[in-house]
Amino acid sequence: MHPAERQTVHRWSFIWTGALVALVGFILLGMAISASEAWAEVSAGLGLSLVAWGGVLQVLNGALLAPAGTGGTAQLPTGLLLGGVLVWLAGWGLIASGIRRAPAPAEGLSPAAGASLYPRLARYRDFYWSTLGAYGGGMLLAELVLILLQTVLSSGVPSTDLSAPAQNAGGGLSLPPTLAFALALIAASAVAFVSGFIGASRAQRLSLPEATIGVLYLGLPIPIVLTLMERVPALQLALGYRLREVTYVAGLLGRPELAYWLVFTGLVLALVLGINTGFIAAGSGRVDLKLGFELFVARRHVMVFRPSLLLGTLAVLMFGIIPPLLIYFIIRSAEAAVERTRIRSLGLSDPLAAASDLNRLKLREQSPTMMMTALSVGGVGVGVMALIIVLSVMSGFEADLQQKILGTNAHAVVSRYAGELPDYPKVMESIRRVPGVVGQTPFIINQVMIASEGNVDGVIIKGIDPATVGSVTDLPEYLLGGNKLEILYTPEKILGHGLPGDDEAPAGGSGQEGVEEDDIIRRSGKASKPAVLPGIVIGRELAASLRVVVGDRLNVVSPLGTELGPSGPIPKSRAFRVAGIFYSGMYEYDSKFVYILLKEAQDFFDVEGASGIELKVADIDDARRIAGQVVKVLGGYPYRARDWGEMNKNLFSALRLEKLVMGIILSIIIVVAAGLIVATVIMLVLEKRKEISVLKALGVPDGGIVKIFLAEGLQIGVAGGLLGLFSGLSWCYFIEKVGIKLDPEVYYIPALPVRVEFVQTALAVVIAVLVTYLASIYPALKASSVEPVEGLKAE
Amino acid sequence: MALLSIRNVFKSYFLHGKRIDVLRGVSLDIERGELVSLVGASGAGKSTFLHVLGTLDAPAAGEVFFDGRAVFSMNDAEIAEFRNKTIGFVFQSHYLLPEFTALENVAMPALIQRQDRTGAYTYARELLERVGLGHRVDHRPGELSGGEAQRVALARSLVLKPALLLADEPTGNLDPATGEGIHQLLRDVNRDLGITAVVVTHNETLARSMPRRLRLAAGGVTEA
Ligand SMILES: Nc1ncnc2c1ncn2[C@@H]1O[C@H](COP(=O)(O)OP(=O)(O)O)[C@@H](O)[C@H]1O
Ligand SMILES: [Mg+2]
Repeated sequence: MHPAERQTVHRWSFIWTGALVALVGFILLGMAISASEAWAEVSAGLGLSLVAWGGVLQVLNGALLAPAGTGGTAQLPTGLLLGGVLVWLAGWGLIASGIRRAPAPAEGLSPAAGASLYPRLARYRDFYWSTLGAYGGGMLLAELVLILLQTVLSSGVPSTDLSAPAQNAGGGLSLPPTLAFALALIAASAVAFVSGFIGASRAQRLSLPEATIGVLYLGLPIPIVLTLMERVPALQLALGYRLREVTYVAGLLGRPELAYWLVFTGLVLALVLGINTGFIAAGSGRVDLKLGFELFVARRHVMVFRPSLLLGTLAVLMFGIIPPLLIYFIIRSAEAAVERTRIRSLGLSDPLAAASDLNRLKLREQSPTMMMTALSVGGVGVGVMALIIVLSVMSGFEADLQQKILGTNAHAVVSRYAGELPDYPKVMESIRRVPGVVGQTPFIINQVMIASEGNVDGVIIKGIDPATVGSVTDLPEYLLGGNKLEILYTPEKILGHGLPGDDEAPAGGSGQEGVEEDDIIRRSGKASKPAVLPGIVIGRELAASLRVVVGDRLNVVSPLGTELGPSGPIPKSRAFRVAGIFYSGMYEYDSKFVYILLKEAQDFFDVEGASGIELKVADIDDARRIAGQVVKVLGGYPYRARDWGEMNKNLFSALRLEKLVMGIILSIIIVVAAGLIVATVIMLVLEKRKEISVLKALGVPDGGIVKIFLAEGLQIGVAGGLLGLFSGLSWCYFIEKVGIKLDPEVYYIPALPVRVEFVQTALAVVIAVLVTYLASIYPALKASSVEPVEGLKAE
Repeated sequence: MALLSIRNVFKSYFLHGKRIDVLRGVSLDIERGELVSLVGASGAGKSTFLHVLGTLDAPAAGEVFFDGRAVFSMNDAEIAEFRNKTIGFVFQSHYLLPEFTALENVAMPALIQRQDRTGAYTYARELLERVGLGHRVDHRPGELSGGEAQRVALARSLVLKPALLLADEPTGNLDPATGEGIHQLLRDVNRDLGITAVVVTHNETLARSMPRRLRLAAGGVTEA
């Protein structure tokens, strides 16, 4: 066969003129768009046209808008638009006519002309629509499965939104959204993996063009639409309600777009893994999932699991590079010195024996590939270790913060959309029947000014029920000096300073009413004794800034609601006596919250009943579901319940985002280590070219060669991952047991917290192994493409 | 039916854009149980021809039938299995795998078939005894002499009792005495095990001792 290599001829004058004409057309189009002020609409389409969906969408959009657009604000410059399009097309036509196929050179036929082409080449096809369907359709299906499963699995949770009653009838299971997401993600990844597997094993090759086209055209639209949904209000209106479960889960991260693209990347990875596995297992025409022989060969090629390598790498991970290296060199040189002295004394009597021993000493030297292997193992190990330590410390901070927030805050709050809960005892009675609720307490909350002799501050005041508040928050335990909240019931027992003057001069003029009242009391004959004032519990930081102690008097002024004073309306004001001081460790709470009796608050703020009911649930991760259940029991609107996650949404999503970003940044270490693995495996492949040829001649199929070199890369990954896991956990244990002190001026906790979470630790190792697997794919494929005859040339 | 039918096989190489036609329409039949020698000048294309026979290299055109089956119509897995089960190769160099002992090298084709290890090792040990290397089973190739390594390679090619043995100048790197030992082994194998063998050689006397002699010249194969 003559290699009919066709040449192209470029007529550059045509191409340049065509480019200029097309540019003019482009500018004309731009002017048309500017004239109609449609850039906002067009740019969205332009984004999509990157994947070539733009044209189709724009036509659809245009068709849909045309009837509605008659009353448009700006007139469409039809002439300009049409002219622009024509000029633009003409430019491209010129460019196309500038590129010509050169005529096939006329040359004599080869001697084999007419003979049958050998069958495998004759049968060869380089594009399969069915494979494209499997890859692209698989991606699309995986995305749909994810969205549908997420919706079905968690939409049974009665929503706490306004829309609650409408949807309570709807079906669907009621798993916690994160669990639903985990299940949906696993199912979707499985779908992507299986489609990749089927596509590759049917086509018996990797089919990169099909994979690229499939992912671009069928995989991208959904994440693009989801991303646009966050930006384009019209889309939000159209789809937002149907996709609420999806957006909710994505929103847990704070930045939903990031979540969509991460998940998309994950699904593409699953597809790639499936394609690769399918090709390896069945690419040579037969499904073969056995590994025994390949592992046998791979283990001899890279001896990762030698005690010296494992212990050495572990030592470097645990103690840094320098100390183990020093010890290693000291041991080695001592060993060599001893050995050489021995051989010399042996050689004095038997030179030949000495020569053979010397030879053996030389054999022990390590090859460069061995060094590379050790480096790669160390690299993966460092990455995994760093991931585990940093994520565990971040989890420690998060857990600490969560504990503090939940200690002072309820797990969920029941209230009404408008107004108060006058009948809160009845509501509480109903809530008691909801399984999972372990405590509840009514409260009234408001913002007030608080004034002492020395200072004024704006605080949040909460009316509480001392009998039940302990069942919801840790407030009773936070009280300093062994005080009890019950003392609020008996204000006369509050230990005062006993100095009458103490009560006489509240700060500023804000406490006039209190003064007057006291004066009245005094005037009525009890002047010698300090008045009995209702108690108030304040935080330690607030007490410090107001410079008050237990027994001191405070004035609380409400900006809302006025009373009629002698000279017109004045703000409402009441005097309280500090009954106790609490310390939660959270500056926010210790400086901003004060507590009084529910009854006092009712009087003060003219509230009937309570503002709401705080709940404590048995399982805080289940709070969202239980909150929904409570609303259901109460009959939906006008009641609503918000869980702690919703109330502190920004804080926790910021923490999650931070952790994710940190994880991604640290994964870069693993990716760099993966680069090392690629280099190592490529070196191995080059070193073993001849062996690969021999193995093929002995009957190892291409898939077997791929398996061997994948196994070699994976060994490095698994060894590095396990070493990283071990050293990371050891470091976490060290931090927990020995502790690393934190500057108390800066941090609110004394020592670095750690919390080893099983899932994220396992994930770190799994990511490392997956990354090494991916990294080994390319060199392994390179290895399998070594032709048998290549390595069998006599040297 | 002939064990091996070669029909109109073409093979060319391209060096610096120039075509070198090595095989130009070779057609040939080899019967079951034959012992065939192939001679030809260096660079005549003997190795190329043998590689095409053993499916290690694909021809540009033409077909090779083994037992009536077109070997190049098979898919990758089938070809690999075909090489593994029906063909034994011996090359000019021994091409043993350096990380494995002589025993493991000999058993390798059986291990590739995923046969169980103890059984494979037992038969491999037997074969090593037969080629006179019973005392070297645990040596690595680096610790064997050229002749010993070539005998290990021969044992490896026989471990699965192939129907066809292809040997490409198996004695090219050996001294005449050692070489004669290898040739004797090949003749024994052909006679005792009934294995069809094609042996490429430079040594005219050795070639003449074979029942059927072929010569490769100018891209064609003729009986000599
Ligand atoms: N991979 C190759 N690329 C280019 N030319 C090759 C290649 N392999 C072999 N040749 C050429 O093909 C011819 C035949 O080679 P070969 O079959 O090895 O001959 P022989 O084994 O008879 O000595 C030689 O001229 C050689 O240079
Ligand atoms: Mg040759």
